[in-house]
Amino acid sequence: MGVTALTEIEAPSDRDLCLFLSKYSAWLMGSGATCIRVEKNVKRIARAYGREVELYIMPKHVHIYLWHEGSTETVNSIATVNHTAISFNINTQLSQLSWAIADGKTNFSDACRQFKEIVYGDRQNKWMVLALVGVANASFCRLFGGDIAAMAIVFVATIIGYLLKLELIKRHIDFRVVVLSCSFISALIASAAVYLPIEATIGVAVGTSVLYLVPGIPFLNSFSDLLYRHYICSFSRFTDALVLTCCLSIGIFAGMSIMHLNMF
Amino acid sequence: MEMIMHLFEDAFFAALAAIGFSAISRPPRRAYLWCALIAAVGHSTRYLLMHVGSIPLHIIPASLVASFVIGTMAVFISSYAKFPAETCTFPALLPMIPGIYAYKTFAGLMLCLFSQQEGMFDHNLYLCISNGLTCGAILLCMVVGGTVPIFIFKKIAFTSTR
Repeated sequence: MGVTALTEIEAPSDRDLCLFLSKYSAWLMGSGATCIRVEKNVKRIARAYGREVELYIMPKHVHIYLWHEGSTETVNSIATVNHTAISFNINTQLSQLSWAIADGKTNFSDACRQFKEIVYGDRQNKWMVLALVGVANASFCRLFGGDIAAMAIVFVATIIGYLLKLELIKRHIDFRVVVLSCSFISALIASAAVYLPIEATIGVAVGTSVLYLVPGIPFLNSFSDLLYRHYICSFSRFTDALVLTCCLSIGIFAGMSIMHLNMF
Repeated sequence: MEMIMHLFEDAFFAALAAIGFSAISRPPRRAYLWCALIAAVGHSTRYLLMHVGSIPLHIIPASLVASFVIGTMAVFISSYAKFPAETCTFPALLPMIPGIYAYKTFAGLMLCLFSQQEGMFDHNLYLCISNGLTCGAILLCMVVGGTVPIFIFKKIAFTSTR
């Protein structure tokens, strides 16, 4: 599938294009895209404007070199990866934007405007997400063999833990502390149910009450980066995910210990 | 009949879990129902492999096959629905996360640290390692099974948003 090369008149200057691509790649990485997707999208845009590009993707930065085919002069730019919440909506729309540019459906100034609209216009109803996460975790509990009472306990523990997560993130608390605190609170609430006069599979409830904190996307992306030999990013994402999993585990253990709940 | 009921129950709760967890990663709205469908098919595939047939599969190979089904479905659906395959892969895989094994692994490790006697220490170490190995193997199979289809069908996967 070829891409449409745009005319020189429509093409931006090397400097403008390089800056656009560095911001584009930083946002794409930050929204949870894999290295190979960033590489393909950026190259697609550059080729549409008749430029060649090389990317040097590091876990926290993206370094871009841009040049005209046959030219020895290069323009380069470094951007810091935006460590925002993972958003597949941004990921999808930025990928669509790269194709719109490649297929000649949008010019450079429109692309810049659309880029800003995509990255700053990604809004989500937090109450809807909260309810969905609560139901999801309760469903998990059922999948792992929990009964109706355990599902209700997990729902409550998840809602409170997730609300705390939103509040701590709003206050710019380190994400590892956020995961540790939320897993502690959710596990504490789920473990406390052992003192309620009800019959419930508490062990399953405690184990599933923190699953909304599992760093699944970094784990998956780390393997994808490994397949495409982006070893440094792969290792970085894997380490990040591992650290968060340790924080989560410490939180559960602390919550259960306070309630004197035996793990086996 | 009971088996079919269990299968549908499994698919239903996997779909609910996938919808909720896809919300955390902010997908496009049109992705929610696809995530639910893929998760339901993936999870019930694992259930069938583990419970039906003369030789029921162990959870580890069953997870590998189910994850591959999820990854492949995600690639082909993403090209139809116009979003990256990863959008559906993670939420659909999540219901298969070995949460209980992970939790028992860490519990075993903690109990090891606080064991006073050699016998108790050995038992807790056994719990930690046996659960940890199972958990690690399932996770690895899930990640490999979910990601390899994107690698195999890369042309479809990387033109899905066109």
